[in-house]
Amino acid sequence: MNVTVSEPKHLKVAIASTTLANGLQVVIAPDAAAPVVTVGIYYKIGFRLEPQGRSGFAHLFEHMMFQGSANAPKMQHIKLINSSGGVLNGSTSYDVTNYYEAVPSNALERVLWLEADRMRALKVDDENLKNQRDVVKEEVRVNVMNQPYGGFPWLDMPPVAFRNWANAHNFYGDFADLDAANLIDVQDFFKTYYLPNNAVLLILGDVKAEEGVALAKKYFADIPAGAPPPFADPSEPEQKEERRGHVDEKFGTLPAIAIGYVMPSRRTKDWYAMALLDQALHGGRAGRVYRDLVLEKQVAVEADGGIDDLFGYNGPTQLTTRIMHKPEISADATVAAFDEVIREIQENGVSEDELQQLKVKWRSDYYATLEGGRGGHMPKYGLMHLLACFTLFDREPELVNTILDGFLAVTREGIQAAAKKYLRSSQRAIVFRTPVAIAAPPANGAREAA
Amino acid sequence: MAFFSTELAVGVPALAPERPVTWPKRTRGKLANGLEIVLAEAHSIPKFHGELVFRSGNAAAMHRSPGLAEITASVVRTGTRKRASRQIEEDLRRIGADLSSSAGSDTSAIVFAGLSEFSEQLLSAVNELAREASFPEPEFERERRQNLEEVKLERTSPGFLASERLRKVLFGAHPYGTVSASEAQVAAYKRDDLLQTYRDFYTPENALLVMVGDFNPAAMLGSIEKVFGAWSGAKPHVPTPAAAANPRGRRVYIVDVPGAVQAQIVVGCHAITRKHPDWVKLGLTNSLYGGAFNSRLVMNIREDKGYTYSPRSGVHPMRQGGYLSISAAVRNDVVAASLAEMFYELDKLRALPVPVSEFADAQNYVSGMFSMGLATQSGLLSQLATVAINDLPDDYLETYRDKVRAMTPEDLQATARKYLDSANMQIVVVGDRRQIEEQARLFGETEIYDAQGKPTK
Repeated sequence: MNVTVSEPKHLKVAIASTTLANGLQVVIAPDAAAPVVTVGIYYKIGFRLEPQGRSGFAHLFEHMMFQGSANAPKMQHIKLINSSGGVLNGSTSYDVTNYYEAVPSNALERVLWLEADRMRALKVDDENLKNQRDVVKEEVRVNVMNQPYGGFPWLDMPPVAFRNWANAHNFYGDFADLDAANLIDVQDFFKTYYLPNNAVLLILGDVKAEEGVALAKKYFADIPAGAPPPFADPSEPEQKEERRGHVDEKFGTLPAIAIGYVMPSRRTKDWYAMALLDQALHGGRAGRVYRDLVLEKQVAVEADGGIDDLFGYNGPTQLTTRIMHKPEISADATVAAFDEVIREIQENGVSEDELQQLKVKWRSDYYATLEGGRGGHMPKYGLMHLLACFTLFDREPELVNTILDGFLAVTREGIQAAAKKYLRSSQRAIVFRTPVAIAAPPANGAREAA
Repeated sequence: MAFFSTELAVGVPALAPERPVTWPKRTRGKLANGLEIVLAEAHSIPKFHGELVFRSGNAAAMHRSPGLAEITASVVRTGTRKRASRQIEEDLRRIGADLSSSAGSDTSAIVFAGLSEFSEQLLSAVNELAREASFPEPEFERERRQNLEEVKLERTSPGFLASERLRKVLFGAHPYGTVSASEAQVAAYKRDDLLQTYRDFYTPENALLVMVGDFNPAAMLGSIEKVFGAWSGAKPHVPTPAAAANPRGRRVYIVDVPGAVQAQIVVGCHAITRKHPDWVKLGLTNSLYGGAFNSRLVMNIREDKGYTYSPRSGVHPMRQGGYLSISAAVRNDVVAASLAEMFYELDKLRALPVPVSEFADAQNYVSGMFSMGLATQSGLLSQLATVAINDLPDDYLETYRDKVRAMTPEDLQATARKYLDSANMQIVVVGDRRQIEEQARLFGETEIYDAQGKPTK
């Protein structure tokens, strides 16, 4: 292709930030292009820190946050936002739980009032808890138990890869644990973690910086701070050899394999290199894994992968490849074909040309993240998430404007060194999810990969 | 159900005056070869999003084989007269672009996004795929082999099985009645069929180019003329099939999946196209019934009864008609209870006036969602493509919210009576027959199928 390059434009996000006296961090990103505002509150609590014997509780609790607060009883949360022309949701992940709304900007104060009301006091009863326990069980059934490859590999991998309960347990929750959860657990969890000093409030879009700060003070300043929440150590004992696990696939017709390598800590030199290495391996159809396994060697029908929430982890996490291979190719042959991809990049690294491609694509993807929504109706979700992570984990929301430089500074040597250091068999875990229907070897014997 | 009409809690701040929406300025154009163009500026990021849409999809190729437009679109990106697959993918990455090619019932499309600084290169790549795809034999064979695994695999997804059966029940022998190819049909695909489909469908007279993003429209129009100007090709002649008969009377269709731990319900009836004068009214009616989180259906079977996680209803417009669906994945022991509530809410909406405050809430919701959907490049692109592909009026964006505001609760009730056709809804339940059959049979004459689509006794 004949490429003429005009000067790349750089994107700078305008940000104002402050911390209220009660410890609540506030970040405003004004942009008046559309009369729409996105509000998010991130609490620094996720699956990892939920109590033992209460697997799935962080997520169940997230549901309870929509069930009523001191001045807004059940149904009001949803009604308040929808009837203002907006949408709302929440999600639970390893180290954070978020609640977010996108509304026409004339409803901003209403959203802040609601979020402040439920940060101040959760008001729920046994009936609400029973209702949401039932809803969560159907969520688990529709997403995991009654779905081909449900929970693959995000629920399959942790018990194979990790030894510390914080990282290794069932994040959606064993049903017995969900059943055991009671209102005392709910209020204890709320009092421990849902504190202004354990959260960040984000207001993005059609709001002026000083207006946003003033409104944050108006609605949140009188919520008392609490004792800093405990942080259960999620560190893992040193891994010395490859770990493997097997899970039955009840519905699906293809054998699936997930291979995960432990990542370095966020914002280290190696972390930037791993992100570009991930792009080299899993960057769509040009990525080496899809190219080699699906398009060229054709051992697999589908292959992809990535780093689970690159910017938002605060404990052990992995770079994971997911492969669905042809039934006539053995699992061993598939892993061998994958290993060949890894060996190649460890031995030869990436060319200068490939590195430049990776960087252009990385920059393009980063802009898309900043602008992109969640679903069709949650503008600026990506920017909100980055600002939240950079605030909660780094206390530096401005990183959103500078972090890109770190990725664009990665060298060929850096990528090759990261491949050698982190993509080692002794540092990985493999999950085989095998269809029960084809668990027995086919009569004509398994063919080896080409 | 008192909560449906509860007023806002004490202390809730009132809404401030609405701020005006600045509607994006559109530039329209048409090349001499017939290619229609719609451009809109959006400078949120130094990127742009686009779609090259062809007005023919799987329905128009159904007389040759189901899924033919889809596999044609998949193979389009795997080789051109100038470049092999690997080169295409690397060149796209070199300019930071994303590109996908796919087909639905009524259209085929190349969808793309990239950095503004490389816009002409990306347009050239799209042009090359649209005009010079070479359908390399080995790539076609690989794609067919993958497709074979995919059509086996999709039969293990409850959501697929439910929508496949509903479409069959609602549209029968009409092309809309078949959503996917069988293994035998995939095995019988011929490269020549793909080439023919490509030659027929991928022509400028059949195409529409919509782009949104950080560019100067006049300059972009110049680039488009330069890149696509020499392309030529006529509109394909596709006879319009006879409309499918709208099924009368409720019937039940069970798709048996032994061992399923949940039942996937989907209920549906015929509806209308996007161009139909009742479209906006039906959208608002659907929103109040089951299209929003605070809709009646969600509040009832999720927030009140806890039967399900993700109940919803939706209107699916197609070029020739369309359909309405109501779906929920529910506990096995509440299949009858869930269906009873779905029909209760349908009948209630048809029988009783909608309270004014609830109606106003739904108006606000639909109107707000519309504005929200325009706030990203890809959201605006999708709206503009919808307007263009359906030949909706130029002021569709500007007047949509006024149409929503002009509706009355009486309109909503009349719309519910006309389209929420409770007595003629078709009911599909995918699940373990032993656990759900007795409950499902309460709602009508019942037919039972296996996951392969074969009727069973």
